[in-house]
Formats: sequence, structure tokens, C-alpha cells
Amino acid sequence: MQDLSPATLLVLVPLLPLIGAILTVLLGGRLGGRAHLPAMAGIAGAAVVAILLLAATARDVSPAHGPRAEPIRPVEMIATLWNWASFDDAYTPPPGSPAAAVRSVADATAGRAGGDVRGFSIPVSLRLDPLTATMLTIITSVGLLVAIYSTGYMHGDPGYPRFFALVAMFVFSMSMLVAASNFLLVYVFWEAVGACSYLLIGFWFTKPEAARAAKKAFLVNRVGDFGLAIGVFLLWMTYGTLDFHDTISPQGVIMPGILGQTRLADAAGYAGGAVGTAICLLLLLAACGKSAQLPLHVWLPDAMEGPTPASALIHAATMVTAGIYLVARSAPLFAACPGALTLVSIVGATTALVAALIGTVQNDLKRVLAYSTISQLGYMFASLGTGTLLGFTAAIFHLLTHACFKALLFLGAGSVMHSMGGVIDMRRFGGLRRVMPVTAATFLVGALALAGVAPFAGFFSKDEILAALHAKGWPSAHGEHHAVVATEGPLRLASFATGASFATGAAAHDAVGLDTLDRPETWRLLFWMSLATAGLTAFYTFRAVFMTFTGPTRVPSGAHGHGEHGHESYESPAPMTLPLIVLAVASAAVGWLLFATNWLSHFLSATPSLTAAAVASTAVPHAFHLDLAIQGTLAAAIGIVVAAIGHLGRRSDGPQMERFLGPLQTLFANKFYFDQIYTALVVRPLEALSLVAALVDRHVIDGAVDAIAHVPVAVGGIIRRGQSGLMQRYALAGVMGVLTIVVLLAWQLRG
Amino acid sequence: MNPVQSLAMLQNALTVGAILFSLGLVGILTRRNLIVMFLAAEMMLQGISVSLVAWSRHHGDWGGHVLVIFVLTVAACEAAVALVFVLQAFSRTGRLDAAAWQSLREATVGRTVDRELPAAGAAPPPFPTLTRAGVQPPGGEHAPLEREHV
Repeated sequence: MQDLSPATLLVLVPLLPLIGAILTVLLGGRLGGRAHLPAMAGIAGAAVVAILLLAATARDVSPAHGPRAEPIRPVEMIATLWNWASFDDAYTPPPGSPAAAVRSVADATAGRAGGDVRGFSIPVSLRLDPLTATMLTIITSVGLLVAIYSTGYMHGDPGYPRFFALVAMFVFSMSMLVAASNFLLVYVFWEAVGACSYLLIGFWFTKPEAARAAKKAFLVNRVGDFGLAIGVFLLWMTYGTLDFHDTISPQGVIMPGILGQTRLADAAGYAGGAVGTAICLLLLLAACGKSAQLPLHVWLPDAMEGPTPASALIHAATMVTAGIYLVARSAPLFAACPGALTLVSIVGATTALVAALIGTVQNDLKRVLAYSTISQLGYMFASLGTGTLLGFTAAIFHLLTHACFKALLFLGAGSVMHSMGGVIDMRRFGGLRRVMPVTAATFLVGALALAGVAPFAGFFSKDEILAALHAKGWPSAHGEHHAVVATEGPLRLASFATGASFATGAAAHDAVGLDTLDRPETWRLLFWMSLATAGLTAFYTFRAVFMTFTGPTRVPSGAHGHGEHGHESYESPAPMTLPLIVLAVASAAVGWLLFATNWLSHFLSATPSLTAAAVASTAVPHAFHLDLAIQGTLAAAIGIVVAAIGHLGRRSDGPQMERFLGPLQTLFANKFYFDQIYTALVVRPLEALSLVAALVDRHVIDGAVDAIAHVPVAVGGIIRRGQSGLMQRYALAGVMGVLTIVVLLAWQLRG
Repeated sequence: MNPVQSLAMLQNALTVGAILFSLGLVGILTRRNLIVMFLAAEMMLQGISVSLVAWSRHHGDWGGHVLVIFVLTVAACEAAVALVFVLQAFSRTGRLDAAAWQSLREATVGRTVDRELPAAGAAPPPFPTLTRAGVQPPGGEHAPLEREHV
């Protein structure tokens, strides 16, 4: 099996969908209704390979129990394909600068004499570690299910081949994003998934709303991408490399990568202080853009203009998790900056609460799910921000379960939309459980998982997130004091660095006041916010379920049912219901399986990033927190009961909600006026600037160009008179010219 | 041959060349008949060829001779091409007059008329025909045997 080494398999995961995408583009027109075949074959192959890789990686992780139990050691494998760019002497930091000081730390780490001149090289390296293997499995398997579903949903669409080419392209980009072992490659594929997202949101580009939503998503993401770009620059200035892994230079010295094992083993390997915090905040900005967190969440609800399978794949299950992945991957960087880490949680918990509040008053089924996605991503950020091993693994756990049940819910909503003739407003249909039994049953499973009802998937992952937050808020209850460990790194680094400005970095950092946020009171507040969000989540999820599937059956006039056995059925075709059933089974089972065996947390803790001392030292024994589970279930139960009171049996929605919430209802329905604020603060000034620029362009620049264009016209007007059409005249002009030259030459020779 | 003789011969040859060239130039500038213009251009070429041969001989260098042979070869090809153009031009307008093409002038420039051309569509110019040998020419003794002008 020489040919199927893990490195080859790892390359196959992105390669197969890429080939599928290219074949679909080339053959799409010829294949017509079978255009999904190359793309789907590519994604299916990638899914199989990803599962093989997951198994291969799991074999390398040391067992948790038993006689061979040993401390977790990092598991990683690097496959370097080729060198994209390589320069020597790329940059010489001025002596005494923070960058030079940190470099000396890196030199000391690598046992080198030092030297200020840095090379710059971008190897195209793919990595395999537990985090990547998990992400690859999620991406490819959800991608495959969505592709199968799309053959039913997109059937007959004129853009059928284009859709599948884009989906395969997206799977390729996303696999590369999570497999890349270099920050620059991450950036490249970060942009690539953004581009795929743009193309899929604007898939029906003749619809003005879709085109506008695509533009909005792309532009809002630019803000985050800008953060990532600056963050990557700063990372290179600080660490002198962009590689995740350790590399060996041609001289045979080990170059410590940013997340390589050399640096991970060194408690002082990561910059804290102002520089470290700046890097973390820029990465957080990037993550906020891609994962739709406050204040950059505004693009995601509008992204629902795209085809529903694209929403399920990209805007619910996979692409939006890129931000989570980035923060989890950069865990050691964040662990060195407790203030930034706290901010991650604050952003996450606030987003979760705000999005859940907005979600409670939406009437568009897909938009409810969109806000729910934002809210659940907020949960994951809140969990990441705890900076504990439990927090990181819980976030990825929730990412996994969320990918299952949110894809399920979106595909269910798509099934409803498909059968209702494109109508997605929940007020226009109802009681669909009788006419769409499979969709209704699977949607209910997804809703139970999302609401966090035991024993469905969301219950366990949400419980772990609440436990992570609880441990930070009430450290004594858990017997933990990780704050000491978390701050140790930057302090030591600051004392090591002799560069004056860098040594004062910690002081400047305190001036920002971020570190003061990292107090138990903050975490208690975040915990209560998350708990409230859990209740709200259950409320809006079941509000949607009750409005859509219960009460008297009503369908809009545009729906296309088909009679079966005397009564009409609106159920979607088999390619659409099959993925629903698969995802429903996963949503029901995966949480309990992974929680009971503690397999995922143990597996993930072998990720190199999470073996950093600051993270790994916070490991706690696996436990089921009965008190938190009761609180979470109680919150969910309250939410469901309130939703049942309001909406079970199809009661009128608007007036009741308005009476209950009063002015808040207006606030929520207007999405906290985010769009209006951005319009006033960003869009209008930019439009005014564009108007000025357009006027300058049209009148000043174009005017100058036109003026220059008049010169040859005027000259031509004079010369034109000589064009008589008579050959003799032209010949005469030639002779006169030659004579003139001869006379001049003779004159010159004589003189 | 002494140098004085050689120089005298060069002068003579160059004079002949210059005369040929000038005649050709005058011909090209004054005549409007395309074939005659072409002949005039050939004459200019021969003038140059004569001076090339003369210089070549004067310096005892064969380069000029060789060049002239090339010029003759190229001129023969060029003559074939030029005559095709002339023939095409004639079949378009029915005239050999270069001024018949003055409609190619700039639109804003007025038409140049020194002598009015025969009206288009008028009877085609009679082609010269060779008299058959040994036969009494038609039209009696006093009939003109050739066109008055070309």
C-alpha cells in the first residue's frame, strides 16, 4: 500500500473535489441533467478518504485508558508539496525593535546564534492532525449529503452544472483551508471560500436581492479578511515565519513554526503584550467576518437568498466554522493573551444572545435558521474564549453537532420551500406534518437537537460549553486556577526580551484594559447570557416547528402537490429526503456517542495547538455536569413551553408577540437596527465619496483625456488638405522632401 | 586604363544615369497614364542601375554589378505585379488615367480638375489592333491606322 500513504490520502481530499469541479466545468454543458456526477464523485471520494484519514489519525493518538495510557503527545503529519515562494534576505528588522527582540527569542529557542536577516518562504504544505481530520470529515460528509440533496432540489435549474461545480470548488477550498499548514495558505483559501460563497449566494444573479446579498456578504467579509491580512503580516514580523509546523532549513537547523512542536514546548514561545494582543484581535476580527459574529454578522441572514443547499452547506455547516477553526488552531497565540481570549467569549456570548433575540421574531423560516446559526456560532466563540482545553474541545464538538443538525434543519427548510413553490414565509403555510411526514419528522429531530433536548446532539455539546463557561465563572467549584498558567507565558517572554519597547509591551497591553476583563464576574455574566440564549434558542426553534408543521394544513397557492391515495402529498423526492434521514440519525446519535465515550475530546486534545502548556494544563477529567444539564434542560423546556403556548395549534402570531414584547418587538424585528446603522455610518458616506470620485473621473480626468485627444484631430485637420487623391502630387511631395534633405546635406557638407 | 580616363568614363556614365533618372522623374510627375508612369519609374530605376555599374567599374568592385543583376531580377517581378495592378485598375474604371482614382482623396478636399475626363459610361476607348499582314486595310487609303492619342 505504498501508494496510499497518509500523505497521498491527505492530498487526495482536496484534489478529488477539485478534479470534480474542473470536470463539471468542462463537461457540464454536455452532461446536462447528469452534471452532478463528476462533482459528486469527487466529493464522495474525498469523504471516504477523509474518514480513512480520521481513522488513521485516531490510531496514532495515545489511548485515554488502559495499561498504555500515557500523557497526550501531539499528533501531526506534514506533506509538503512544493515551494511556492522563497526569498533570502526578505527583511531585516531595525535593531532594538520589538520584532528583533522576539526574533532573538526564536533564535534562542532554535539554538541558533541569531542574526537579523530573515528569509521568507511559503511551502505548500498540508497537515494532518486531529483537528484537521475532524474538520475534513465534517466538510466532506456534509458536502456529500448536500450534493445528493441538491440533485433533487436543483433539478431542472438552468444553472445545474454551475451549481455543482461551485459546490465541489467550495469543498476543495474549505478542505485546503483546514489542511493548510501555513498562515498564508490559510489566507488564500480563506479568500477562496469567500469567493465560492459569493458565487453561491448570487447563484440566481438575475434576482436583484440575490445579487445585492452576494455583494453585501463579500464586502462585509472584506473587513474580516483585512484583519486576517494584517494579522498575517504581524505574525510574520513577530515570529519570522508563517508555517504552522517546524521546518528544517537547508543548513540543517530547525526553524520553529508558529504552532510547531518546538515552540509549543516552550512556555515563553508566544508573544503576549501589545503585539500578541494585536495579533489575536486581528485574527478575531477575521473570524468575526467569516463566522458572522457581532459586529460583522449582517451578511449571513441576507445570504439566505442563495439556493437552500448552498445555505445549508456554506452558511450553516461548514464555511462559517472557518472562524472557529482559525481561533482553535491559533489557541496558543490566544492563550498568551488572556484579555483577547476573554474578548472572544464576550463577542461570542453577546452575538449568541442578540442573534437569538432577533431570531424570535423572524417570520422567514430560513432567516430564523440563519439567526440561529449566528447564535450557535456565538456559542462556539464563547466556548473558545474560555481558553481551556474543555472550552476548545467543546467548541469543536458543538461545531460537529451543529453541522449535523443545522444542515438537517436547512435542508428541511429547503424541502418545505421546494414543495411550497418557493414560499418560505411561515405565516403562509402550516400543518405541513400531514402532507410532508418525512420532512416534518426529521425537522423535529433537528429542532430537538438545536434546542438542546436530551439525548439529542445539541444537548451534549451545549452542556460542555456551559460547563466550560461555568468553570471560568466559579473556578473554586471546579478546583481550577488556569489564569496563573495563562499569564505566565507573556510575562516570561517580556522579561526575556531586552528590546525596550517590547518589554513595555505588557504595560501598554494593560493600558488597553483587556486583561481586567478576565475576572470571574465577567464569566458568570457570560454564563448566564449563554443560558438565556439556550432558552431563547428552544423558543424560536419550536416557534418555527409549530408554525410550520402543526395546526390546520394550509399551503400557498403556488405549491405543487401530487395526489396519492386520495389526499395530496407535498413530500420531496427521495434524493432530498434521504440526506434528511441520514442527518436526522446523526443529529440524534452523534452527541450521545461522542459524549459518552469522550472520544472526540480525547482525540482533539492531541492536536498540536491544544498541547500548548497554557491550554493542556487546564485539562479536567471528563464528567457529566448534572447541575448544568438540569439548568440547560430547564431553559430549553421553558422555551419550548412558551413557544407551544404562543404557536401550537396555529394561533395568530403578530399581535400576541407585540403585546407581549412591546417596543422590544420593533427592536428585534428591525434586527437591532444594525443594517440601518451601517447604512448611515458606512454605506452613505462611501456612496457620497463614490459620487465625488465619479464626478472627478467623468469631468476632470476624462476631460483631460478628451482635451489631449483634440490635439491630433486639430493637426489632422491641417494635414488633411494635402490629401488630394492625385498620385502626382504625392510623388511631387516625396521628391520635394528628398530634394530638401539633399540640399540640407550638401549645405552641411560644404559648411 | 589610366585614372583620368576612368574618371572621364565615370562622369559620362553618371551623366547618362542622371539623365535617365530625371527623365523618369519628369515622366512620373507629368504623365497620368498608369502604364507610362510605370515605364517612367522603370526608367528611373535604370538610371540608378547605370550609376551603380559606373561606380562599380570605377572602383573595380563587382558588388555594384551584382546588385544591378538583382535589381533587374526584382524589377522584372515587380513589373509583372505592377502590370496586374494596372490591368485591375483599368477593368474597374475603364480608364488608364491615374486621376480617375482621385475619389480616394479626403472627403473635405475639393476635386482637382485640370482637364475634364471623358464621361463614365461613354464608349470604351478603342483598343489598338494590329493590321493583318498582306490584307488591304479597311476604310481606304486615307483612313487613320492608329489612334490619335493614348
